[in-house]
Amino acid sequence: MSDYMRRLPVYLLLDCSGSMSGEPIEAVRQGVKALLSELKGDPQALETAYLSVITFNSSARQVSPLTELMAFKEPELNAGGATALGGALNVLMDCVKNEVRQSTATQKGDWKPLVFILTDGAPTDIETFKNAISNLKNIKVANIIACAAGANADTTYLKQITESVLMMNTLSAGDMAQFFAWVSGSIKMSSKSIDAKPGEAIQLPPPPQGFVIVP
Amino acid sequence: MESKRTEKATLVDGSTIEYVVKDNPPKGGMKYTYFTPDKKYVVQFFNDPKNANDINIHKRLEAIVGKYNPTLSEEKGGSRGNTQLAADYFSSRFCWPKSLIKSPEFGIVCPAYPSNYFFSENSTDIEGYKDILKGKDKKSTYFTSPKLSKYLKSDELGDFRSMLSLSINLARSIRRMHQAGLAHSDLSCNNVLIDPQKGTCVVIDIDSLVVPGLYPPEVIGTSGYIAPEVLETMELPIDDPNRKLPSSYTDLHSMAVLIYEYLLKRHPLKGPKVYSTESAEKDDFLALGPKATFIENPVDKSNRPKDLTYTIKDLGPELEKLFIRAFVDGLHSPNERPTAMEWEKGLVKTWDMLSQCSNSKCTHKWFVLHDPQKPICPYCKTKIKAKEVVRLKLKSRVRGRNGQWIDAGEINCYDNMPIFKWHIYSNCFPDEKAERDLQASIHYYQGQWIFVNRGIAGMLSPSGNIVPIGQAVLLSDGSSFQASNDEKGYLIEASITRW
Repeated sequence: MSDYMRRLPVYLLLDCSGSMSGEPIEAVRQGVKALLSELKGDPQALETAYLSVITFNSSARQVSPLTELMAFKEPELNAGGATALGGALNVLMDCVKNEVRQSTATQKGDWKPLVFILTDGAPTDIETFKNAISNLKNIKVANIIACAAGANADTTYLKQITESVLMMNTLSAGDMAQFFAWVSGSIKMSSKSIDAKPGEAIQLPPPPQGFVIVP
Repeated sequence: MESKRTEKATLVDGSTIEYVVKDNPPKGGMKYTYFTPDKKYVVQFFNDPKNANDINIHKRLEAIVGKYNPTLSEEKGGSRGNTQLAADYFSSRFCWPKSLIKSPEFGIVCPAYPSNYFFSENSTDIEGYKDILKGKDKKSTYFTSPKLSKYLKSDELGDFRSMLSLSINLARSIRRMHQAGLAHSDLSCNNVLIDPQKGTCVVIDIDSLVVPGLYPPEVIGTSGYIAPEVLETMELPIDDPNRKLPSSYTDLHSMAVLIYEYLLKRHPLKGPKVYSTESAEKDDFLALGPKATFIENPVDKSNRPKDLTYTIKDLGPELEKLFIRAFVDGLHSPNERPTAMEWEKGLVKTWDMLSQCSNSKCTHKWFVLHDPQKPICPYCKTKIKAKEVVRLKLKSRVRGRNGQWIDAGEINCYDNMPIFKWHIYSNCFPDEKAERDLQASIHYYQGQWIFVNRGIAGMLSPSGNIVPIGQAVLLSDGSSFQASNDEKGYLIEASITRW
């Protein structure tokens, strides 16, 4: 049966630059743990959602390949280095190309991937970032939600990636926990796809209190 | 840190109920939930204040709690003609709203569902998953999805017989609702909790019912369970005459999907066929809406999976016919769908055709032995050990034509099989009102099959003599006798197939 079970691929792009060291990166670790536990408790998410983690500091790499939830191993997250957000977008595009099944006349494709980007700064690889953005715009591969965390996060770059940008004021454990709870809520909602309207924008739950949607 | 405090709500009758307020209470599509301190009831408020103040929702809920309530006898303000026996029966099959809250704001009180509908720490062997699963509702996807069920302990999964039992339960509950003119409107894997171990189910989220004469709720249902015509027309304005809204007809689609999933562990419409390569959304919309094709459509095989090892044919002729009517004839023609009553009858008839698999390791343990010439379990391919199949044909009198009988059902006999009133009298049906005291029993005794009278007045032997209680008739191939000389009594014909 598995050949035509449509999957919901979810990519987390996590900032692991030097500024995230200490409490913030620990909060992200706890967040991923909580996210996984929350999703494993939801039968629809268990059935359809597949998770991958891409981290970025001075360079970017996929630390967890797209895996079903029960088999997913939490990645080791360590902070240090710069903010290669552009590189992360390139890795994302490669992963989507390689891992997400496209519809063909004989094969059912996956759902459009859901991508969550969490960063506390601004890209340090500006040229790469600019190129990545133009490539990303052309292919429209995914529903991307970006979250700017803390006072130093620059939302103008994120706005170039996607319309959906959130801002949380602090990098505190509490805010981070809320963010990951919201991410799991969004994934659950998408995996239920209550409104299976063709071509409609995906519906996400309202962001947590204290988070601002950047217009 | 999580804070907890106890608050008091006032019900419409003026009495009060306490509930425990927690941060981040469990939230559904419409409402959020708190428990009473003893956890026997839940107190629910609406997410959206617009709903809490909506006069149509108030009226609908008043009707649901009162005059349409099948879990309350007529005497106690429940639905018309409802006896205490029926009310008790349905109390455990529905999580029916009990009363309405007027302050601090409009809300409802429901019984909490019984503990057997929650997973325990013993439901899985997988470390790390135990804590996650513990306390979660037993939504049917956990059991019907092969991907999920492999993480559960095998005794959680029940067997084919218990899945058939809970299918009967569901059909009965929906039949009861439809009899009253109510429609559930959102039957799905999330709104019917199942206990495959016990073979029971409970229908929850009763507050979005369609109540006769009142405004329908604005739900369209849950993906995978929405009737094709509802999905197809969901973009039209709500008052457009072509827009199809949830009704008892759409319930009949959702219910058939659930029963198919319970018995065959797959979705009836999700096959390999690609309807559109444009997008997954478009493909899904066509696959579940306007172009929906049953994976087991006997003519159009475009959506048929290659790896179907067992099919609706293995469920016996009654269920095969019902599934064809639901997913071929009635898929795009709502009036052709079998009613809940027809499902209930077909499922009950199928129950009497069950045979135990001789392979103790068989995952299904039971199967429908519909062809005595092929006594092979369709799931593990084991041939039954017994050397013969003893089958009883039940025949009822044709009214006004003396001596003429028509087929009314069949029973596959097994040792120590109980026989109830509905096996004896054509006017008895195993519903919520049926008396379940033993009428007779079938035994394999000293190399022969016997039918022992345990309480039938007027049971006759093949030669027409009264068989007193405690006495038996021998079941031999071709023999027939009247189970009761009452006008409604069945004629029973035995046949024995040996190989």
